[in-house]
Amino acid sequence: MNDKNIMESHMGTTAIKISARDVQVYYGDNHAIKDVSIDIEDKTVTAFIGPSGCGKSTFLRCLNRMNDTIDICNVTGSIRIDDEDIYDRRVDPVQLRAKVGMVFQKPNPFPKSIYDNVAYGPRIHGLAQNKADLDEIVERALRRGAIWNEVKDRLQSPGTGLSGGQQQRLCIARAVATEPEVLLMDEPCSALDPIATAQVEELIDELRQSFSVVIVTHSMQQAARVSQKTAFFHLGNMVEYGETGQIFTTPQDPRTESYITGRIG
Amino acid sequence: MSTTSLLVIAILILATLGYFLASKRAISTAGGDRRKLHSLPVYYGSNAAMFTAIPALGVLLIWLLAQPMLVERNILSTIPDKLIPEGSSIGLVMSDVRRVADGLEVVVSTGTLSQNETLKLDTEQTDIRALLAGVGAAVGSDVQPEVLKAAQNYRAQTKMGQSWMVLIIVPLALIGFALSVLAAKPTFRARNTVERGILALLVLAASLAILTTIGIVFSMLFESINFFKLHSWTDFFFGGSWAPNFRGDSDLSILPLLWGTIYISIIALIVAVPVGLFAAIYLSEYAGPRVRAFAKPLLEILAGIPTIVYGLFALVTVGPALVRVFGRGQEGLLGLEWMSGATAVLTAGLVMGIMLIPFVSSLSDDIINAVPQSLRDGSLGLGATPSETIRQIVLPAALPGIVGAVLLAASRAIGETMIVVLGAGAIAKFSANPLDAMTTITTRIVSQLTGDTDFASPETLVAFALGLTLFVLTLGLNVIALYIVRKYREQYD
Amino acid sequence: MTDAIQKTEKKKSSLLQLDARTRTRNAAETRFKAYGMIAIAFGLLMLSILVFNIVTRGAGAYQQTFVALEVELLAGKLDEKGDRNLDDIKKVSTFGYTPLLSNALEAKVAELEIETDLKAKKMVGILSKSAAAQVRDYALNNPNQIGETVGFEFLASSRVDGYLKGRVSRDSIGNDKNISPAQLDLADALKAEGSLAKRFNMSFITGSDASDARPEAAGMGTSMIGSFFMMLVVLVLALPIGVAASIYLEEFAPKNWITDIIEVNISNLAAVPSIVFGILGLAVFINYMYLPNSAPLVGGLVLTLMTLPTIIISTRASLKAVPPSIRDAALGVGASKMQSVFHHVLPLAAPGILTGTIIGLAQALGETAPLLLIGMVGFIASNPPDSIATGLLSPNSAMPAQIYEWAKRADPAFYERAWGGIIILLVFLVTMNTVAVILRRRFERRW
Repeated sequence: MNDKNIMESHMGTTAIKISARDVQVYYGDNHAIKDVSIDIEDKTVTAFIGPSGCGKSTFLRCLNRMNDTIDICNVTGSIRIDDEDIYDRRVDPVQLRAKVGMVFQKPNPFPKSIYDNVAYGPRIHGLAQNKADLDEIVERALRRGAIWNEVKDRLQSPGTGLSGGQQQRLCIARAVATEPEVLLMDEPCSALDPIATAQVEELIDELRQSFSVVIVTHSMQQAARVSQKTAFFHLGNMVEYGETGQIFTTPQDPRTESYITGRIG
Repeated sequence: MSTTSLLVIAILILATLGYFLASKRAISTAGGDRRKLHSLPVYYGSNAAMFTAIPALGVLLIWLLAQPMLVERNILSTIPDKLIPEGSSIGLVMSDVRRVADGLEVVVSTGTLSQNETLKLDTEQTDIRALLAGVGAAVGSDVQPEVLKAAQNYRAQTKMGQSWMVLIIVPLALIGFALSVLAAKPTFRARNTVERGILALLVLAASLAILTTIGIVFSMLFESINFFKLHSWTDFFFGGSWAPNFRGDSDLSILPLLWGTIYISIIALIVAVPVGLFAAIYLSEYAGPRVRAFAKPLLEILAGIPTIVYGLFALVTVGPALVRVFGRGQEGLLGLEWMSGATAVLTAGLVMGIMLIPFVSSLSDDIINAVPQSLRDGSLGLGATPSETIRQIVLPAALPGIVGAVLLAASRAIGETMIVVLGAGAIAKFSANPLDAMTTITTRIVSQLTGDTDFASPETLVAFALGLTLFVLTLGLNVIALYIVRKYREQYD
Repeated sequence: MTDAIQKTEKKKSSLLQLDARTRTRNAAETRFKAYGMIAIAFGLLMLSILVFNIVTRGAGAYQQTFVALEVELLAGKLDEKGDRNLDDIKKVSTFGYTPLLSNALEAKVAELEIETDLKAKKMVGILSKSAAAQVRDYALNNPNQIGETVGFEFLASSRVDGYLKGRVSRDSIGNDKNISPAQLDLADALKAEGSLAKRFNMSFITGSDASDARPEAAGMGTSMIGSFFMMLVVLVLALPIGVAASIYLEEFAPKNWITDIIEVNISNLAAVPSIVFGILGLAVFINYMYLPNSAPLVGGLVLTLMTLPTIIISTRASLKAVPPSIRDAALGVGASKMQSVFHHVLPLAAPGILTGTIIGLAQALGETAPLLLIGMVGFIASNPPDSIATGLLSPNSAMPAQIYEWAKRADPAFYERAWGGIIILLVFLVTMNTVAVILRRRFERRW
């Protein structure tokens, strides 16, 4: 198929972090994801775009098995991270999620202090030997979340007291603190104002240095701004996948073209 | 009584008449053209019925409530002190008076004696007791002349009150009838008036809740004041012993009862809170839809079972089972001799705990479900296990609500009656041994107010003081708990 | 970047192997989950123990031991003059009939050649104390049969009944002066012959309470009637008042401090201990208004006040569930606010209101404590009332109060009746709740 050719043409240039083959997702009787195969590269920002309800968020949640928490959800096919099948029976989703962090659509800081929000992951995964260690991890995470300067004087105040943009950056810092290898972001800017969005986008670009970042967005401009690779989803199918510039300028599939030019969506 | 019912029937007939007359008149004054009327004819009729019946019935109701009190006050002042026997009270004499008066009423209505003959009755010549017994009205002892006289007075004043009642209420109904039928003209805004009347009824119904509370507080307050006139309040609140003695001079302190109540409630909460909370956690966070659909209603059955069933369960099943374990010496399961009877703090506490399980679990279930899913997702997405998510994120977030639920459960436990009446025993004492029989505030209220009660002795009146304390205690817990729960809900709304 | 360097230092772990920490964490997870399951299992276990107890202990009340005897209505004892004058026959008290019973038993023993050293007077001990009254009633109703021999079915005494049900054994009656092993032998012999047997006991469902000495004759019927009249009062008062109050609070009440107080008040009243309502009933309805003691009317009034908050809370919830668009539509065609509520909102909320009312009634039906304070206890009514007025005003008991009365008598025979009464009570409650659930399922509307 068309998209397979495109994928293959990019193989070998960068290390493949995640490789999915023939993934199907069912919500009860509803076939939500049909036959999706994709290779996601390391140290790259990959954007999933598409109209709402196209399955891009569902597929994202498959990558760290968040769909396990929904009873009626059933996933088949294979998804491999570093060549290990994450749906293998021996894999513990808890361990997987430590490796594949996630940031959600709505900022969801815990009703705890800013410090405890960030320290939560390292604490449960036992990443710190002592208090000093933990302090260092928290500070590093907050710096990487580009929020350190704003909160360094009030680490003990509640995380829910921050503004929306700050909350989302706190959530990113929280996800980064557990030292994941992949960072999944589910429309991280949809609840934010333009200024906060710009800050978060800038942050995503920096995070690319250390992680493989996968971001779901409904905004094509955002995908164009932050991502190197883009996949277009439509009605549960992945229609097209390739270099972001190429997808936006010379889409191969008529559906992609219709979406990008604003005829569907 | 018959006068009252006749009056009610008359008013209702008049109201019905008013209904038809007014709607007819409205149509006829409009020249038979309904469209010229401001409101539907029904409203003109209803308006007339309303103005005829409501004021009259309202006054009637107030009259019926107030008259006995006024008459009684008059009669009480005429009863000489020497009539009150040693150890008795004016209340008992008054109830004798009332009984004699009621008896005489029956004597007249059955035709044994005429109205005039009853007025001429004399204790010297007639055996009143036998006369009354003849019509089925039992009087405790021979009727004294003063009591007979008071009873005659009582009857006369009641009769006079009734005549006045008829004289006032009948014109009132007639005036309402006349005015409202005359008002039935096309320009009259009948619907608005009727609706205002209905609204007033709705307000009245809503204020019944307030009225109930006021009734509760005052009914207990007055009798409690009477109690504290007879018994020192320091002994009641700070004394150390509870030993009612119907010959008087009792020790009536609430402290031993309060201790029993609290001890049993604590045991009940020790059973109900962990079990209920873990059940709620399992049902809301782990159980699949099928387990939930099956286990949740089954657990809630426990809440629908009447408390008398739990009481019997404690007395006949759980108590003896505990005795088999902790008592009976060599014959018992453990060879211990710690428990002698089936009724004990542990018996009542355990069974009450079982009763409270669904109460705690369904309240906690609501509260846990109110914690937003995004917090759970956030925690799971960081690689926390579900139990870590629950313990470190969900429970701390739900804590205020859960505290509220526990307080509500505690208030339930403190006010619970049947389980402790049957399962806890009747001995008031301070003991830390859960295998001892102890007693509670509610059991003492039941025992002081059932059986032959004399509403003038401190031994009976103490029940009202106990009830008031219980009410204040549970009210306090409820207000705090409801406030916390409400605040908690607002947080996530 | 320094971050990148640190990252490479981190050990590369395989997802396919569980590290030690994850294993301990998973163990904690399993334990935590197990606590939840244990809690559910504990709750369900208690429920099943309770149900098992009710069924096994209560089923016995529906079976009763009867003794079939041929009793000769001796003319010489019952009607000495022989003119069948009813007034003269009435003069013979119940005690006068006891010899007839002992004669009948003696005859039976002789006929069956049962060996027993019991005196005839002692033999009567296997019959209920109500047996003589039963014969007397029969004789008074059929004076022309005096002198003949009539076949009767008598209730066996509660001890004999307990013996057949396995509640009483020869070991357990050591100090019991109401029964002796010899009497049990006699019962065995009669049972073998077939004139003493257990059968279904309708009078437990229809009959009235009996005195302490005759547990075998006690029944639930009269207290069921008492409960019925109370529920009637609750339904007639609580439903209209509750609905009216809810309509006001939900549709008309302005948002001000008075409304706030009423609302807080209602939710607090719902949590006030039921016994407090009993005290209120005693003080207001009986001591102040002089309503008759022990009357279902008073019980109904007390339970009405107790049930009102429940009904108001559920009615308000179902009124709230009717979308505002319905109200707007009615107002839009020129209906008054009152008309929009009574013509449109109320009918749509009716199923929910009915469900809430049934649940409130079920709660009131099982309530005991307040009834004790207003004197609605057992053994005060022996005959069913003959009219609605007497049903409301004459003393009666209620089902839960009757059960309490039996539980208090501390006699295993009465415990059996208490459990049996609970079965009837629960049958009513289950029926009511099922109706409520069906109503909700059937008419529930999602807007």
